[in-house]
Amino acid sequence: MAIFDDELRALKERVLELGSMVETAISDSVRSLIERDNGLANEVIKKDHLINALEVRIDEECIRLIALRQPMARDLRFITTTMKVTTDLERMGDLAVNIAERVLELNEEPQLKPFVNIPKMAETTQSMVRDALDSFVTGCSRLPYEVIKRDDEVDDLTVNNFKELLSFMIRDPKIIPLAVKRTYIAKYLERIADHATNIAEMVIYMCKGKLIRHTTTEDL
Amino acid sequence: MAIFDNELRALKEKVLTLGSMVETAIHDSVQSLVERDNNLAREVVINDHEINAFDVEIDEECIRLIALRQPKARDLRFIITAMKITTDLERMGDLAVNIAERALELNEEPILKPYIDIPRMAEISQVMVKNSLDAFVRGCTKLPNEVIKMDEEVDKLNVQVFNELLFYMIQDPNTVSRATRITYVSKYLERIADHATNIAEMVFYLCKGKIIRHMEIKQEV
Repeated sequence: MAIFDDELRALKERVLELGSMVETAISDSVRSLIERDNGLANEVIKKDHLINALEVRIDEECIRLIALRQPMARDLRFITTTMKVTTDLERMGDLAVNIAERVLELNEEPQLKPFVNIPKMAETTQSMVRDALDSFVTGCSRLPYEVIKRDDEVDDLTVNNFKELLSFMIRDPKIIPLAVKRTYIAKYLERIADHATNIAEMVIYMCKGKLIRHTTTEDL
Repeated sequence: MAIFDNELRALKEKVLTLGSMVETAIHDSVQSLVERDNNLAREVVINDHEINAFDVEIDEECIRLIALRQPKARDLRFIITAMKITTDLERMGDLAVNIAERALELNEEPILKPYIDIPRMAEISQVMVKNSLDAFVRGCTKLPNEVIKMDEEVDKLNVQVFNELLFYMIQDPNTVSRATRITYVSKYLERIADHATNIAEMVFYLCKGKIIRHMEIKQEV
């Protein structure tokens, strides 16, 4: 069915397009933090509706394909996976907006201290998002397993960041409102990494026909 | 197709069962915090694997139904909605686990202040889950508009909890560690309410065939 093949290819391309919009949102939100760039933060917030609109469009296209083409086995799994992947991507976009919102608040006051953990977290998280999407479109490899392992790194960095800021807050209560906002940003990044992990798990499921959500990393 | 009707009915029941498991998890996690009950908190953590297993089971069943029965129009939309709803339910379960984990940490230290807003947030969230699932299984007699309004209430409570705890932290830095953990619990509840809102939006979609995600709810509903 050549038309259907084309339609699937087009679907894949749209998911990639959505993915790159989300990647840009994440990297811009982090950059707006490091460089204290309000203009960039506002841009992230303003552009989010484009991500939302594309997600809805992809969803509708998936339902149309299932209803019209009655896909079997592999194709069906690909389409249902697409529907779930886009949900995670869209939520990552929302989290980039949350980061940008906190940045606007943080930029109203002088910088607390240089960022150490957050850029590291952002880097790992962004590589997870990129690799999770790559593994979705390029088919089955070891890549999604790597993504899942990196999630532990991000979790550790979140805890480190929290502990470090906690000691700052206890020493100097004046900085508490600022420091709490920073812990939120770390949390948002951690959740973006969680969404990337969700995508990696769904890709493995798609490849193996086996759900690995909710199993431990050791089982992999 | 009588067999298919039965299968759809069974699917509906499974989603409802998952919903009630999640409601229990939310309720118990907050109770373990309020009553400082470590055993209950551990129970929530341990029972989560049942929610996860059930989520996977429902997912598999949905894919099987689509592949085998090639459902059309309304039935197809129903099955796809079921797949999406269970994802949200399962994540709510994870958040209940997060609450239980924070409860275990908070219970190690003296109580900071009595919990008032947090049980209220949990209550509203549970009603939100229940109402949206009701709308899902009963068909579209009653659209889950009020669920979306309740979400705004939870958002407001979350801000209130945050501001109040910030005040505690500034007054007495020794409370920072506890207060931050309580703001996390409040955040988790706010996210639970967001997931319930997602479900309500998907049920609305199922009823109207129109996606209302990302719209200004007040005008559209």
